[in-house]
Amino acid sequence: MTKHHPSNDCLMEHAAGSLPVAQAACVSAHLSYCERCRRTDSQLKTVGGALLERLDPVPVSEALLDTVLARLEDPVPLTYTGQTAAAELPSLLQRLINGDFSQLVWKRITKSLSISYLSTGDTNYEFALYRIAAGGRIPEHTHGGGEMTLVLEGGFSDGRDSYHPGDFIYRDAEDTHAPVALDGEDCICLAVLDAPLRFTGWKYRWLNPFQQLHAG
Amino acid sequence: MVENKSDSETDSGRGWSVPTGRRTDEWSECLVQIGDNSDRAAFTRFFRHFAPLIKAFALAGSSLSAAHADELVQEVMLKVWQKAGGFNPEKAAASTWIYTIARNCRTDMFRRLQKFDTPLAADDLNIELEGEEPFTVLHTRRGSDRIRDLMGQLPPDQAQILAKVYMEGKSHSEAAAELDLPLGTVKSRVRLAIQKLQVQMDRQ
Repeated sequence: MTKHHPSNDCLMEHAAGSLPVAQAACVSAHLSYCERCRRTDSQLKTVGGALLERLDPVPVSEALLDTVLARLEDPVPLTYTGQTAAAELPSLLQRLINGDFSQLVWKRITKSLSISYLSTGDTNYEFALYRIAAGGRIPEHTHGGGEMTLVLEGGFSDGRDSYHPGDFIYRDAEDTHAPVALDGEDCICLAVLDAPLRFTGWKYRWLNPFQQLHAG
Repeated sequence: MVENKSDSETDSGRGWSVPTGRRTDEWSECLVQIGDNSDRAAFTRFFRHFAPLIKAFALAGSSLSAAHADELVQEVMLKVWQKAGGFNPEKAAASTWIYTIARNCRTDMFRRLQKFDTPLAADDLNIELEGEEPFTVLHTRRGSDRIRDLMGQLPPDQAQILAKVYMEGKSHSEAAAELDLPLGTVKSRVRLAIQKLQVQMDRQ
């Protein structure tokens, strides 16, 4: 059972379809773990439906109806099967990864941190998987912007709390943190960033010039 | 779960008693007929009711041209025909179901028009309630019916913000800029509206 969830504002923007695709993908992945947020999402979509019913109708021509009726028997391009909750890994991630974690190219950043960048086509956000070795630490860092994190495997702790698969964490630009993976297994997280991470400790600060946003 | 408890208290307090989750509203029945029997007459009725609303949705925030709005109506209505078989009246109202389709089609159309290339279609990011316990489904369903009833009672300033966010697809900060309101005011109106609609959310 997940303990950490997106904010109400975030769930609402998701239901209204106004989140950028990279962030929307992260929230969707959380929904596939979290029944409670799925229920909220379902009700928030109901709000959308109720608002739709109250719009002032704009007339549509009979010709458009005829066009649609004539196309009803067109072959359906690809039957969409929909997302179902809680497989091993959210299916949208499986598709972006093209398989499982073993197929990924990991870029080693420090002894305990490797990153694998995925492409959502969104050039404002970096969408990446972070792998922290069991018990390993990501050096203390901050970001120029916001960071969404979703735990996929293992878990980590940041001194405030510990986080497990399905947990969703949002940190803003002011936040400095140094997550430590829990012992026993590597921790894999999805991270969505709108600015590159910046190490704050003297030991790792030299790495900063090499940190750039891998968006796209 | 805590919110279950508080919600059922509200339910009994207001005398809500829906024996089954089955909806009997006209448009849900219409969708079932389309899905079960490929009923063109039912589809035509559904089209005449919803196509003008979808067109209004397409034009909300005047973001699409009239030609693109018609194209969106066409796409949404074809999806209605193709997907009606998967519509489950126990889980969603017809308006919620078609809103989700329209929202996803509009998002994809925006991205297409902006030549924004992504491997993820809006449909891929839509997670439905699946395989939930019947009690949960019923409970969620009742909450949804209540939301639709309460929508008519929202004060205009709150309804206006919700419409900006949902119908025009604006983020909270975009809505604030357009209405010339502080972001905090927009967020608190949204929060009040959501509370009044009794959407089950975390108290934050």
